[in-house]
Amino acid sequence: MDLSVEEKLRIVSSFLLDSPPGEVSEVYSGKFWFCVLIPDVSVLLNNNSVFQEGLLDALRQYNIEQYVTVILPEQESKVILSKYGQLENDRFFDPKSHKTFKVDHMSQDVIEVEPEPQTPDETTEPLRSAVETAISEYVADHYPKGASATYSTGETITIAIVDDKFNPKNLWNGRWRSTWVISPESGEIKGSIKINVHYYEDGNVQLNSTKDIEITSSPVNSEDLAASAAAYSKSICKAENEFQNALNESYVELSENTFKGLRRALPLTRHKIDWDKISNYKIGQELANKS
Amino acid sequence: MARSFVRNHRSYETTYFESPANPILAYHHQPLKVRSLCEDTVTSYQNFFRKLLSLKMGDQLECALDLMRRLPPQNTEENLSQLISLVPSLHEDLVNAVDQPLKVATCPITNKEYLQSTFNRDGDSFRSPWSNEYDPPINDGIVPSSKTRKLEIAANDAFNTYREMYYEGGNSAAYFWDDQGQDGFSGAVLFKKVGDSVRKMKGAWDSIHVFKANERGRNAHYKLTSTVMLYTITSKSELGNLNLSGSMTRQFDADYPFEEPNAHIANIGRMVEDIELKMRNLLQEVYFGKTKDIVNDLRSINSLSESQKQANMHGELNSSEMNKILLEILVLENYQRTRQFWCNIINT
Repeated sequence: MDLSVEEKLRIVSSFLLDSPPGEVSEVYSGKFWFCVLIPDVSVLLNNNSVFQEGLLDALRQYNIEQYVTVILPEQESKVILSKYGQLENDRFFDPKSHKTFKVDHMSQDVIEVEPEPQTPDETTEPLRSAVETAISEYVADHYPKGASATYSTGETITIAIVDDKFNPKNLWNGRWRSTWVISPESGEIKGSIKINVHYYEDGNVQLNSTKDIEITSSPVNSEDLAASAAAYSKSICKAENEFQNALNESYVELSENTFKGLRRALPLTRHKIDWDKISNYKIGQELANKS
Repeated sequence: MARSFVRNHRSYETTYFESPANPILAYHHQPLKVRSLCEDTVTSYQNFFRKLLSLKMGDQLECALDLMRRLPPQNTEENLSQLISLVPSLHEDLVNAVDQPLKVATCPITNKEYLQSTFNRDGDSFRSPWSNEYDPPINDGIVPSSKTRKLEIAANDAFNTYREMYYEGGNSAAYFWDDQGQDGFSGAVLFKKVGDSVRKMKGAWDSIHVFKANERGRNAHYKLTSTVMLYTITSKSELGNLNLSGSMTRQFDADYPFEEPNAHIANIGRMVEDIELKMRNLLQEVYFGKTKDIVNDLRSINSLSESQKQANMHGELNSSEMNKILLEILVLENYQRTRQFWCNIINT
């Protein structure tokens, strides 16, 4: 029974959205389409705009969800693609430079930067920019290859942080994403951290970790925005450190308890099995059970 | 449909090791298309076109396996069934090549638990290693020859003991089948252990050892492909949800002497024991070492500028220590020289 175009699209999109960090192009690559879906792929791609549009939607969603970064011309720092900076489907803005640009979601490249930067909101900009400075400093001090974006999102300020490391030569890739929403009035901060690691040398091992966090900092001090911003950044740093410590501890616990409980390194006798006498062990065990 | 599936599966097994159909191995090895074209001489056009067709199929399969190698191992079963619905023509190949978690079922005849896998399956039925019967029953399900079945019974016995000693629980099974037209047989040795949920951490271990044994005079040659699937799930307030799962595969070749048929069990046993120990160490290293290192590469708990400062200070310290050592050497040399000088004078 053949699947409908919509059903195919749904499966293919879910595969794309599940791509490990840095591997969406591998999953999307010609190899997959032209070999796995032959013979109907060319038909689908050439004649079916529903399918084409659907694929583009999935890639766009992937780039935004995964905080894929792009580099604007004549600019050093990486710019995050996120829903907070999305103006239209393919148009985003960079809160740091206030520039707006267009992205090709398939190649993850910037295709066009508008010459005129946007004018930021006068009332929210001072605090946003203070938080941006504090967070940029924090990210530079804790994320070796990190990027951050600080958006003014109505009553709140939203921070996106991402650090990814792709090492396909050694067959591993990883990505850390954090999102923090600060309510300056109350000093409440809500956040979530997501980590994905893929290790694929002679195997396929993946770490998927998600954690939602709520912390309380002090309400904004309009007299000293820089001090408030520093306090927010400090609270975020503390929360992320605590999470990372918990993660490292649970690695030890997993290895010491869970893993050891599944299979012993050696039998209780501390010796490997003598296979010529394997039936003796059974008799020995039966005797042990009886006594 | 059901019947052809198993026959295909069996014939597939004969090429299993020569052309690594395993998702993981396929990535590193020469694709099977090259070999299959060179090995046989193409005798007729019909044959040639069949080869061409299979060539394309090989590519397709390889791409599908590459995809499976990248999708989250946490959802292998779901991903596989979706991929099959996309490419129904790859159904048999994918089911055989992609390792899936083993299922525990109860043999209706002996009432003992057994493991369901692609190695004891015929259509929708699975053969119990304890009763040699298919569940649900089928009329002409493939069973091993009486000689191979005897070995299979002995292997189930031996690996059950092995399981108790290493896993202290869980399930084991050995399934053997005859290789047509060859001196030898093939088989799969399977273990499954689901851990107790201690401190909100769950774990499961599935190991699948597929081997091919070839008798060559007084020796037997064994080819072993081993896959271990390890799943861990943790859910805690300070940590959130953590899922660290996947599979790793290794291949192993060995020659062992064999005097009588039962020697196969001991030989395969030694190989399985060795490779499980190696893979256990490998999993330890990759799961709890490598992925942890990668996370701590992505973000540093310590301030990077502090670490940099400390590293610089450490460097200075080291160089001052080095000066101290050099000075000591000089003093010592000087002392020896002086001593020699006075000794010479005294002696003369």
